Amino acid sequence: MAASHESMMVPAVTETAARSSALFRIARTLARNNWTLGGIAIVSLFLICALFAPWIAPYDPNASFIELRLRGIMTPGHWLGVDTQGRDVLSRVIYGARVSLTTGVVPVAISALLALPLGLLAAYFEKTGAFIMRIMDILFAFPMVLLAILLGAMLGPGLTNLIAALVIVLLPFNTRVVYTEALVQKHAGYVEAAIALGTPAHRILYREILPHVVSSSIVYSLTIVGTIIITAAGLSFLGLGIQPPTPDWGLMTSEGRAVLALAPHVATVPGFAIFALVTGFNLLGDGLRDALDPKSMVHG
Amino acid sequence: MLKFTLWRTAQAVPVLLGVSFIVFLSLYLLPGDVTQQLLGLAASAESIKSLREELGLDEPILVQYWIWLKRALAGNLGSSHVMRTEVLQVVANKSLNSLVLMASSLGLVIVASLALSTISAWKKDSALDRGISAAMFLLASMPAFWLGLVLIVFFAVKLPIFPSAGMYPITGSGGLADLLRHLVLPTITTAATSLAIVTRVTRSAIVEALSSLYISAARSRGLSATSILYKHAFRNVLPTFVNICGLQIGYLFGSAIFSEIIFAWPGIGFQLYNSVIARDGPMVQGTVIVIALVFVIGNLLADLIVRWLDVHRT
Repeated sequence: MAASHESMMVPAVTETAARSSALFRIARTLARNNWTLGGIAIVSLFLICALFAPWIAPYDPNASFIELRLRGIMTPGHWLGVDTQGRDVLSRVIYGARVSLTTGVVPVAISALLALPLGLLAAYFEKTGAFIMRIMDILFAFPMVLLAILLGAMLGPGLTNLIAALVIVLLPFNTRVVYTEALVQKHAGYVEAAIALGTPAHRILYREILPHVVSSSIVYSLTIVGTIIITAAGLSFLGLGIQPPTPDWGLMTSEGRAVLALAPHVATVPGFAIFALVTGFNLLGDGLRDALDPKSMVHG
Repeated sequence: MLKFTLWRTAQAVPVLLGVSFIVFLSLYLLPGDVTQQLLGLAASAESIKSLREELGLDEPILVQYWIWLKRALAGNLGSSHVMRTEVLQVVANKSLNSLVLMASSLGLVIVASLALSTISAWKKDSALDRGISAAMFLLASMPAFWLGLVLIVFFAVKLPIFPSAGMYPITGSGGLADLLRHLVLPTITTAATSLAIVTRVTRSAIVEALSSLYISAARSRGLSATSILYKHAFRNVLPTFVNICGLQIGYLFGSAIFSEIIFAWPGIGFQLYNSVIARDGPMVQGTVIVIALVFVIGNLLADLIVRWLDVHRT
């Protein structure tokens, strides 16, 4: 029993070792790139803000200092100023990292997971594939922001609905990535050999094609997080996402519009936080893509 | 080429049908009862019923879609629940304003990205190249709505050079100079993300073209820089350039919606926003279907141009 168990373990161990050395190589390439390290630093900073907001933020995000209303940047005790309702902008920006990270990462992860079976089935079974990809074509026929606005309006505001809308918006992109990669793998020699040997479809999909597809899906997901953070904040800016009084950067930017001439910091500071976090994710995504595939380029 | 054109155009038809169905369905799923909004909470059951019939809200869903589609194809997009005017008329008026903004933004993207990517690629790895690349990277990470507000703060409030709002209908009086003054900030806001992406991709394409053998041959024959760039590099980069510009149409539409809202530009994006807020179903449908239609046609044209360039490259 012990012996058979051991002999079964051997290939698994070597496989894990091979994978971890590949991961190590990627990590080393990433660590050599200063821009990527910068991206990691920016994202980590916001992640710390999100996780430890109650300890980092100087005030409660909804506490009102009404007598200091609209005070500008560098006001003692309120270094990023005070908003229209007398709330501390720095505290709200720190708490806002929670929403932005959630709306950036969660929809991307969910739609990537949903896209795996869709893309794999579409690539492996031609008729199902034609049907699935035609539906994706229809979703592609809407500019991303337009579809997000339409879905946001249909589903109504709130964090859950915002995430649901973004999952649908992302689905065609993720599915196409999985589909394209799975098609390439399907025609690779080792899969054609497995098909010729009569290996059942589910086994080929799960054992042979899936592992190859997952890595492209992860890379693509990381490169799109920035765009999704902007789209999510945009929907909240339009009143179709996060609702007051939740501290959200898009919502805060929108609230500051009314006092733009009087107190420009109310709108521009949270907007700058979006810009900074997105820059961090884009640096990270670019670095990862270059580490994995130096010849790839950005496409819409 | 003709065969490709027909095939590619035919492909767009089922997509547009699917789009129209989704847009139609959206009316059902938009929250809130339209009749109640129009008539107020104190409306009698009878007046609500007659309004529902008037708006065709009592038929089964597929019947409604069929009626809606037939009417839409005939150019009848219904009438706005809130404004009580023809949707098509409103949409047509606003579309013109949006087209002006889109055209100037696409123009800015094309001219600026060609200039920047050429300089960047020609002076590869110089400080200038790195500066342009870094600037484009930052530009690509900016939310359009934030950029628009920052531009207003600097160029409309602190230095009152450009107006932050107040665009009149283009067909009205005011003259070209006034229109251009109103166009500057919204155009930059709309174009920013696309400009960054197109510049990055085009720079890589030019760098690749310049490193190829025939360019080295042209250089060794002593051809001038401009001659090499225009006669040799561009011809090969052009399909990539048109393709990436075509892919930007969606981004431009997205940014244009925010740009119109921020600068109160009386376009279709601003109208869409107002209609969504007012839960004006037919108006939302009308604006969405027109934007999707223009988007699909834009992509189709870009595909055809790329194909044409590929065929006529040699």
